[in-house]
Amino acid sequence: MLKMTHLSKAYRTEVVETFALRDFSIHVREGEFVAVTGPSGSGKTTFLTIAGLLEEFSGGEYQLDGANVRGLNDNQRSKLRNEKIGFIFQAFNLIADLNVQDNIDVPLRYRGFNGAERRRRIQEALGRVGLSARSRHYPAELSGGQQQRVAIARALAGSPRLLLADEPTGNLDTQMARGVMDLLEELHRDGATIVMVTHDPELAVRAQREVHIVDGQVVDMAPQPRLVEAAQAGS
Amino acid sequence: MELGPIISAMRRNKVGAIVVGVQMAITLAILCNALFIIEQRVALGKRPTGTDEANIVVITNQWAGHPTDLAAKLQGDLAALRSMPGVVDAFASNTYPLSNGGSSLNLKLNPEQRESTAQTALYIADEHGLQTLGLKLIAGRNFTADEVLDRMPGTNVPPSAVIVTRALAEKLFPGKNAAGQSVYSEYQKTLAPIVGVVDKLQVPWTQAGGFGSKFNDSSLLEPYRHEAPYGYYLVHAQPGQAVAVMKAAEKRLIEVNRARVLQKSQTLTEARAEAYKDDRGLVIILGVVCAALVAVTAFGIVGLTSYWVAQRRRQIGIRRALGATRTAIIRYFQTENFLIAAVGSIGGIGLALSLNLWMVTAFEMERLDTRYALIGAVFVLLLGQLAVLWPALKAASIPPALATRAA
Ligand SMILES: Nc1ncnc2c1ncn2[C@@H]1O[C@H](COP(=O)(O)OP(=O)(O)OP(=O)(O)O)[C@@H](O)[C@H]1O
Ligand SMILES: [Mg+2]
Repeated sequence: MLKMTHLSKAYRTEVVETFALRDFSIHVREGEFVAVTGPSGSGKTTFLTIAGLLEEFSGGEYQLDGANVRGLNDNQRSKLRNEKIGFIFQAFNLIADLNVQDNIDVPLRYRGFNGAERRRRIQEALGRVGLSARSRHYPAELSGGQQQRVAIARALAGSPRLLLADEPTGNLDTQMARGVMDLLEELHRDGATIVMVTHDPELAVRAQREVHIVDGQVVDMAPQPRLVEAAQAGS
Repeated sequence: MELGPIISAMRRNKVGAIVVGVQMAITLAILCNALFIIEQRVALGKRPTGTDEANIVVITNQWAGHPTDLAAKLQGDLAALRSMPGVVDAFASNTYPLSNGGSSLNLKLNPEQRESTAQTALYIADEHGLQTLGLKLIAGRNFTADEVLDRMPGTNVPPSAVIVTRALAEKLFPGKNAAGQSVYSEYQKTLAPIVGVVDKLQVPWTQAGGFGSKFNDSSLLEPYRHEAPYGYYLVHAQPGQAVAVMKAAEKRLIEVNRARVLQKSQTLTEARAEAYKDDRGLVIILGVVCAALVAVTAFGIVGLTSYWVAQRRRQIGIRRALGATRTAIIRYFQTENFLIAAVGSIGGIGLALSLNLWMVTAFEMERLDTRYALIGAVFVLLLGQLAVLWPALKAASIPPALATRAA
């Protein structure tokens, strides 16, 4: 599903060049639920950003759903992003000027679905996250947990191949965080492939496996045999 | 097209949209009225006089002191002018086209009539008048030498005949041949026979909406020798020789008699430029005002849209992350501007028509051709699209990674 080999990402700021990722290899299989952990500044968000085709990388290879994404132009990347990836952000990232259903509608319109198809998908996604009654509310009228559920509905509605979440519970209190986590687990049980960055070790253990990043590299975690397997598969 | 969400997003940020919409409406209203006035003034300055302007020279003659024997002096001058090389013909008159000065008469069909039938400009001419002005006779005949009478200042000799323009003929005798009919002039208290009809001769007055504008082509020629201390010699030069003839004629007239002042000499082409100088000035001022207005509106749109883009950086990043192409972002701002401009244009058309209606009643302006309002609306729509392009391009360059960074 997602396979990066010897990938590197350098950020150039004026004169300095910092490598946010180097010799980075990872393999996420279809239907997996992977938690990505690591200290602050280790490159977790950078990894998700590249995985989600939001940024280009400097070196190495990246295959998404069997297709090499190196050298794709901006339009092709936008289209792939729209069709294959669902994002869940720490800050929810709902559009404040649009109500719940219009927020979920945003990627569906870019997808080119017709009105009936979009309405069907919006209803279904809202049902999944248990917010059918709030479709005309504006983000400011919802709690943080509800907002994140709407964001998850928006990520789901296009039936993406891969869900990418960057600290989805980072802005939520424990109770709401638990609810969101339950929802992600449920989605995973229904077959979704999920990569979730988190600081929270309690949440990380609820994933199928944990990938630990330090200093822009995936580090071996002895008690996680599958990780070794993944690294081998990636080389 | 994502009209629905754009409209609902705009409803939550009304003020800016309203400001731009109103600005576009006002621009449209002023622009199409100004363009309408410009177009009219330009057309005004192009109206033909019916004469061979480029080859006609006007010399303003004023006799010094208390001149005696004006009849002989006039004939001496005319004989001298007519015999000059390069001169086709010449005559003396009380006025000339584009001079913005002259006399008018109220004409009736008979003395008993209470209201006059037509108003007309009066041109004095002898039998050389038609040829000198280059007028086209379309009915009847020219004056004969016998018909041309002396007309001293302060006398009122009734004319033996008159020649009218086609426009005047149609007002006096609609659908009939005017040649052979008679008209009664209130001033001269006499019925005079119409002996000829010329195709066109504009009145001397040229001001937009001014005196003469209501009877622009109604002119009447009366056969007199203009024996006055002050008058105009009209000289028809051979093609291309007007300026040379003008200089030579001035010299010749001074040779004939030094006791005079030749106040001003010019071709009718020059007289036209002078007559419409104010109109050209108005056209230029209005043009500059329009250009400034368009620039202010365009910058207003650029400014406000740039502000919106800055305000919505995050939202744009999120949209990009959710799969919007750069084109989709550009289209968003174009659509938004189009919606504002469309509403603004509808309001603007209404405003333009009311502004015109007010000017029609207040300044006797002509009614605005609705096509101008429509053309103006299209222009304002295009202006909006053009102005929004630069901020939209800036918006499209916002990186999608913005969604994952800056919380
Ligand atoms: N746009 C950028 N320009 C320059 N350097 C950047 C940029 N984005 C990230 N970096 C650097 O890349 C490194 C990795 O950053 P990243 O955001 O991926 O860390 P992270 O693991 O997500 O940290 P956190 O847990 O605090 O969110 C950091 O050193 C960061 O300063
Ligand atoms: Mg991060």
